[in-house]
Amino acid sequence: MSSLVGFSSLVLAIGINFYLFLSRYIFKFQKQKFNLFIRFSSLLTLLSFFSLMYAYVVSDFSIYNVFQNSHSNKPLIYKISGTWGNHEGSMLLWLSILSIFSFFFSFTKNIDESFQRLTLIIQSLLHILFGLFIVFTSNPFLVNSILVNEGLGLNPILQDPGLAVHPPILYVGYVGYSIVFSIAIAGLFQNTDDEWLYVAKKWSLISWTFLTGGIALGSYWAYYELGWGGWWFWDPVENISLMPWIAGLALVHSLMMVRGEQAIKKWIVFLSILCFSLSVFGTFLVRSGILTSVHSFTADASRGIFILLIFFIVTGFGFLVFLLKEPKKSNTLNLLFINKVSAIVINNILMIIATLTILLGTIYPIIIEVLYNKRISVGGPYFNSTVIPIMIPGFLLMSIAPILSWQTNKIQNSKKYAIGFIMLSILVLIQSYFSDFNTWGFVGLLLGFWIILASIIAIFSSYKVKFNIKFFQIINPHIAHIGVGIAIVGITCSSVFQNELDFNLNEGDKFNVNGKTVLFQEIENTNKINYQALRGKFIFDIEKNQSKKIEAGKNYYPVSKMITSEAGILHQWNKDIYFILGDQKNNEWFVKVLINPFVSFIWLGVAIMIYSGFIAVTRR
Amino acid sequence: MNRIIILTPLIILFIICIFSLTYLLSGKDPNKPPSALLYKDVPNFESSSLYNEKEIIKTRDIKNTKTLINFFASWCSPCKIEHPLFFEIGKKYPELYLLGFNHKDPTSDAKKYLEEDGNPYDFVGVDSDGLIALEFGVFGLPETYLINEDGKIIYKLMGPITTDILKNEIEPLL
Repeated sequence: MSSLVGFSSLVLAIGINFYLFLSRYIFKFQKQKFNLFIRFSSLLTLLSFFSLMYAYVVSDFSIYNVFQNSHSNKPLIYKISGTWGNHEGSMLLWLSILSIFSFFFSFTKNIDESFQRLTLIIQSLLHILFGLFIVFTSNPFLVNSILVNEGLGLNPILQDPGLAVHPPILYVGYVGYSIVFSIAIAGLFQNTDDEWLYVAKKWSLISWTFLTGGIALGSYWAYYELGWGGWWFWDPVENISLMPWIAGLALVHSLMMVRGEQAIKKWIVFLSILCFSLSVFGTFLVRSGILTSVHSFTADASRGIFILLIFFIVTGFGFLVFLLKEPKKSNTLNLLFINKVSAIVINNILMIIATLTILLGTIYPIIIEVLYNKRISVGGPYFNSTVIPIMIPGFLLMSIAPILSWQTNKIQNSKKYAIGFIMLSILVLIQSYFSDFNTWGFVGLLLGFWIILASIIAIFSSYKVKFNIKFFQIINPHIAHIGVGIAIVGITCSSVFQNELDFNLNEGDKFNVNGKTVLFQEIENTNKINYQALRGKFIFDIEKNQSKKIEAGKNYYPVSKMITSEAGILHQWNKDIYFILGDQKNNEWFVKVLINPFVSFIWLGVAIMIYSGFIAVTRR
Repeated sequence: MNRIIILTPLIILFIICIFSLTYLLSGKDPNKPPSALLYKDVPNFESSSLYNEKEIIKTRDIKNTKTLINFFASWCSPCKIEHPLFFEIGKKYPELYLLGFNHKDPTSDAKKYLEEDGNPYDFVGVDSDGLIALEFGVFGLPETYLINEDGKIIYKLMGPITTDILKNEIEPLL
C-alpha cells in the first residue's frame, strides 16, 4: 500500500513539474496558481518520501528496498534512518530536499515576480531530471516478488545517532545550492537589477551552514566510530563534500562584498554554478560507485551513466548560459594594494585553486585507470602537501581582512595589531621551544591564535560593546573568523602533537598513560538486541578518587556478519584520550591509546562557524 | 583571451565527463582492481601435486604451451559454479594445459571435492599456505589466469567463469 502511495505521488510530482516547465512556453498562469502548483508538487514529493519512511517504520518487507536494508529487530531510530541509509532512499531524500527548497523559495517576498517564476522553473527542471533518475534506475518502491517476513538488516556501521542525521543535513547543504544555481541562472536570463544577489546571499549562507554541519557530523562520526583515532582521512567522499564547501565559502564572501561591480557579479554567477555542479558531481561519484572509500556504496554502471548525464546537462547548461549571457555592465572593481576587496579577491582565487587541487586528486585515479589500466590511490600525503600550503596565505589574509577598509589602503589601529602579532609570535616560539619543535605545529598555532587575537582586537577597537542582537550581527564576521582560528588550533594540535602508545595487556594489568595509572579491569561479553558487544573496561587514573571508567571494544552484528570497532574516548577540555581494543594474542589483548590534544577545539570552532552562519542569514 | 577563460569550465567539464564515461563503459568495478601482472611474465612458483607429493610443477614446466591457471578451494562456492565449465574447456581445447591450484584447503577436503565434482585439471598443485596466490596477486577465489606460450599472463578473471565470459573473453584468446 505504502509503495503504491509513494510511487504514484512521486510520479504525479514529476508530472506537475513537467507541466510547470511547459507552462513557460505554452500555457500561461497567474502567479498565485503557479506557486500553488509548486507547493503541491513539493508536498507530493514529501508524501512519497514519508510513505517510504512509514514502510521502514512498520517493517513492510513486501517492499524490496525495506527488505534489503531493514530488520524488525532494529531500534526505531535506525529504522527511520534506514530510509536514507541506502541508495534509492537517499536519492528520494535528495529530491525531497530539492522540493522543500522550492517550497520555501515560493514564499519569498519583495522579489520580481517573473524572476521568481523563472527560478522555480529551473528548480522544476532539476526536479524532473532527478525524479526520472529515481523512477528509472533507483525506484525504492519496487515490490518483492516473493513473500518474506524478515529483512536483511542495515549496515551496522550506520547504526549510530550521529550518522543517522549526518546524510540529511549534508544533503540540505548540497541540494541547497540548487536554489542558488537556479537564482544565478535566472539572474543571467533576466539581467534586470541586482536584487537577485541579496536573495542568493541568504540561500547560499543557509546551504553553506548546513554543509558545514553535515561535514562536521560526518567527521565526528569517523572520529569515534571508525576507531582510527583521526577525524579526517582525505577519503574521496570527504573530498567530494569539501569541494562545494570551499567553493561555497568563496561564494559567501563574494556575496558579502558585492557593491554592484560587474567583474564580481560574473564571478558570483560562476561560483553559484560551480557549487551546484560540484554537488551533483559528488552525487555522481558517490552513487556510481566509481571511487572506493570508507563509504561502502554499491556500484551500478547504468545509474552512473544516468547521473553523469544529469551532471553534464546541468553543468553544461549552467556554464553555457554563463558564456552566452554576460551580466550587465556596471561599476568597475575598486582594487587597491591592500583593501577589503583585494583581500577577498585573493582569498577567492586561493579557494578556487584549493578546490581544483582537491578535484584533481580525487579524479586522478579515474584518469590513470582509464589511460594506463593501473589502480592508484591518492591519499593524505598529496592533499596535505598541496592543499594546506595553498590555504596558509589565505588564512593570513583572513586574519586581517575584517579590519581592512573598502576604499583606502589604510589599516586602522595598525599599531595595536603589530604589537599583538609580535607578542603572540614570541609566546608561540617559547611554547615550541619547550615542546618538540615542529614547523607545521609552529605555523598552525601562530596562525590560529593570530586569527583569534586579531578578530578580538578588531571587535574591541572598532565597535562599542553592547549586548543586543544588532551588535552580534555586526561583529558576526569576526566571530566566524574566531571559530576558524579555534578550529585551526585544534586541527594543528590534534594532528601534529598526537601521541600513540601501544600495550599488550592481561586483564587486571596496570599501565601508564600520560603520567596517570590506568587499570585494565576486565573483558566483558554481552548480548544486545541486534548485536553482541565485546568490551574492554578500563579505569583511568585509578589512584585518585575521581577515576573515570572507559569502555572500548567491538560490536558483532550477526545479521550482516559485520564487526565494528567502538573506541572508548575520555574527553577532557584540553585532550581526548582515545582507547582502541585490538585482538587477543597469546592471552594478551592489544590495546592502543592515542592522546589527541585539543580535539574539542575543532568541534568548538565548527560550532562557532555554524552559529555565525545562522546569524548571517538573519542579517540583510 | 576573455572568451577562453570563460570556456575553461566547459572544457574541464567535457574532459571529466569523457573520462568518467569511458570508465563506466569499460565495465570496470572499483572493487576489482586491475592486475599489475597483466602482459608480464608469469611469477615463479613451485608446487607439489595434490595426489603425489613427489610430483612437482615449476614455472618452466608450463613454458611453450598455453596454460589456464585456476585458483580454487573446496570451501569456495562460486568455484563450484564454474567447475563444470573446465570440463567443457578441456574437451574443446585438448592442447590447452589446465593447471588448478588448490588454495588454503586441507588435502582431504580438496580430494573429496574433486572426487564428487570430477577433476578437470591436467595437474592440481597444492597452495596450502597461499604463497603462490600471493605471487599471482589473487584477490579472492576463484581467479583464473591465461598464460601464453611465451610465459606471459594475457588474461585474468576475478570471480567465476560463465558461459558468456568464456565465449566472449577467453575463447578469442585461445
